[in-house]
Amino acid sequence: MIGPPEGSPRVVLAGGDERAVAIAPAAVPLTPAESLRQNLFSSWWNGALTIGAGLLVGYLGQALLRWALVTADWDVVAANLRLFMIGRFPVAEAWRIWAATYLIAVLAGASWAASGARLRWTPSLIALRAIAAAATLAFLLFLLDGLRIWVLLVGLGAAVGLGVAIGRAGARRLVRPLLIGWAASFPVVIVLLVGFGGVPPQRWGGLVLNLLVAVVGIFASFPVGILLALGRRSALPAIQLASVGLIEFVRGAPLYIWLLFGEFVLPFMLPAGLDLPRIVRAMIVVTLFSSAYVAEIVRGGLQGVHHGQYEAGRALGLSTTRLMGLVVLPQALRNTIPALIGHFISLFKDTSLLAVIGFIDALRIARISPQGVFQGDLKQTLLFAALLFWIVAFSMSRWSQRLERRLGVGER
Amino acid sequence: MTGPPGSPRDDDPGPAGWSVGRVRAPAFWRNVRVLQVLGQVVFVLVLLWLLRGLYENLRSSVGRIGLDLSFDFLQTRAGIPIKEGISYDPNQSYLRAYLVGLVNTLRVAGVGIVLATTLGLIAGVARLSPNWLIRRTAQVYVEVFRNTPVLVQIVFWYFAVILALPVIGGGSLGGVAFLSNRGTAIPWPRGEPGAGVWALLVLAGIPLAGLAHRWRTRVNERIGEPTRPLAWAAGAFLAVAIAGFVLTGSPVRFDVPELVGRRYEGGFQLSGEFTAVLLGLVVYTAAFIAEIVRGSILAVEKGQKEAAMALGLHPAQQLRLVVLPQAMRIAIPPINSQFLNLTKNSSLAVAVGYPELGSISSTIINQAGRATQVTLLVMLTYLTISLAISVCMNLLNRSVAYRGVRR
Repeated sequence: MIGPPEGSPRVVLAGGDERAVAIAPAAVPLTPAESLRQNLFSSWWNGALTIGAGLLVGYLGQALLRWALVTADWDVVAANLRLFMIGRFPVAEAWRIWAATYLIAVLAGASWAASGARLRWTPSLIALRAIAAAATLAFLLFLLDGLRIWVLLVGLGAAVGLGVAIGRAGARRLVRPLLIGWAASFPVVIVLLVGFGGVPPQRWGGLVLNLLVAVVGIFASFPVGILLALGRRSALPAIQLASVGLIEFVRGAPLYIWLLFGEFVLPFMLPAGLDLPRIVRAMIVVTLFSSAYVAEIVRGGLQGVHHGQYEAGRALGLSTTRLMGLVVLPQALRNTIPALIGHFISLFKDTSLLAVIGFIDALRIARISPQGVFQGDLKQTLLFAALLFWIVAFSMSRWSQRLERRLGVGER
Repeated sequence: MTGPPGSPRDDDPGPAGWSVGRVRAPAFWRNVRVLQVLGQVVFVLVLLWLLRGLYENLRSSVGRIGLDLSFDFLQTRAGIPIKEGISYDPNQSYLRAYLVGLVNTLRVAGVGIVLATTLGLIAGVARLSPNWLIRRTAQVYVEVFRNTPVLVQIVFWYFAVILALPVIGGGSLGGVAFLSNRGTAIPWPRGEPGAGVWALLVLAGIPLAGLAHRWRTRVNERIGEPTRPLAWAAGAFLAVAIAGFVLTGSPVRFDVPELVGRRYEGGFQLSGEFTAVLLGLVVYTAAFIAEIVRGSILAVEKGQKEAAMALGLHPAQQLRLVVLPQAMRIAIPPINSQFLNLTKNSSLAVAVGYPELGSISSTIINQAGRATQVTLLVMLTYLTISLAISVCMNLLNRSVAYRGVRR
């Protein structure tokens, strides 16, 4: 070890044992002018870059803002908002969607609070949140019409609050019940939508259709994907070959071709008399497609489990099934959570393909709603559809990044 | 997976409950090796039975609507109008129409891969720029385009941007390039007699540049002072190219498109559909490549950059000579899967009517009804393209991997 440099500040330690301790220079806060110079004008080349990029960004930004706030007429979006969200879902049954949303909101609030997370309130964060809240409010004020929807939205906020209160009270004890709750939420939501004289999938539409197809795809492909991943790592050549063949064949073709398969070939392959609705066939195809990708993700997770774990399980005398179920899979799946969320995001974005084969999803609504007085407002509707997809995908990717840090993937 | 067959078992009590020393082979219904083989045979039989059931269903249902499962229809007249691609007329066969689609897919995917890599590399490096404005701009670009479906982007580029351009004849950029809702025409170099000779000379300039580079590097090793090998190599190449250009009598000129009646002639013409698909694929995929590039650069050990700094390399040299070559090793496998995604996403061109594999296939299905054959054919085609890309990327990967390390 090399001692601290001469002249380091000397610190008196508790034992009276005086020793020189090197103290790292604290980061001195820069004055605004200094930080401006360091970040933007550190050299002539950097300065030129800043000015060039600044002009370009400034020009594009003001053109975009002027178009969005002055030129463009956004009435087409407000007028078609319900179509964007739920398509031709019967209005009288819309309470089913609200109920499902409330359920998810309570679960999400409780999970967030039970994980011990708290909002931090630094001045810059407060300012940022205030701006975001004001922008959202202005946006909603323009979009939403009628007292009912406002009451429902305030109720949604209250549901999240209720969840947070439950989560705070239960804290870590709630982890297992919440996991079960999330697993159960999927069948519950489906029953809520379809059951008791509900709305069959053929009439789902809008963003809700995109979300539901993605969620169905993920949930249904999860067990299939795990089986395929285990099959791919099996020591039995017949099973391994079949798994590899299926995975690579499915991943080799684009989703659009698979949707064509579901549309035109699958009905001929099913036993005569079994007539599945088109949307259900699309869901089957999305599930098949997704399970090949889930299999590859799970395989990555399985490879990340140290072989000592297998050996320890064997030494305990566990059978293969229990070894997998109790030792290997829990560790493998924990490592794959961020990748699985990433896959869910891409599957959700891919559901926009439903528009191409004739389903009334959010993108399709955007293409057909500029009619009559709104003729030619396609830019606005397409941008709004893009915004809807973006909000879901972006917030999920942020959540996944946070989860990745918290789980410490790759650190164990 | 289970223990070695024939090993002694606890549940094999010998006389008086002691294990016997002599190992008796287990009965065949308890022999793991036999069970594994039997299990696989059963598995294969069940799989075959299932596939046969699906096939029988398919054959009888297809027969019921008066179609068959043969590929003969590919030879019959297609009668589909296709707007762009290699030479084709509707009297040619379905197979020819399919080939047109294949070439169009390869065209948009090939150009897309090159452009997406370039843009992604730039945006990924910009994400790490010390300049705040550049860094943030790149971040906004990545976050906006990565989280929006590529189909929405393609549809937006086509219906909201390209179809909103002026009608043909308007949208002139200084009289040399034209933007219109029916396509874009830009000036393009065109060879005249002597161009072939010049091209050969330019090709010959490449080894010459290599020689110059090696010579200046040798000098640098001898005298230990900067000898600018790259500048010398570029100079040698340019000298050959320019001298050759003059000697062969300026064989290349820029062909400027002109408006003739209702269409452009000359120059290089891009259809609106192609432009929209290309823009959508490139902008979307580049956002992902940018994140891969950024992650790979960050994954290069910090000490490497510090060592480069300590050697006195300037920032661009640190990046080019030390950081990027190592980052490439990390980046190639994920970039390969982005290339595959881009190629497969090109099938979304069906939404704007660019005649590539996906949209030609769906037209053939609608017209000829042979959905099974067409789907199978197009799946195998995409599989082949994907395999070809993967093989190329694996070769590239091998060439940049650590020597002595096999991956």
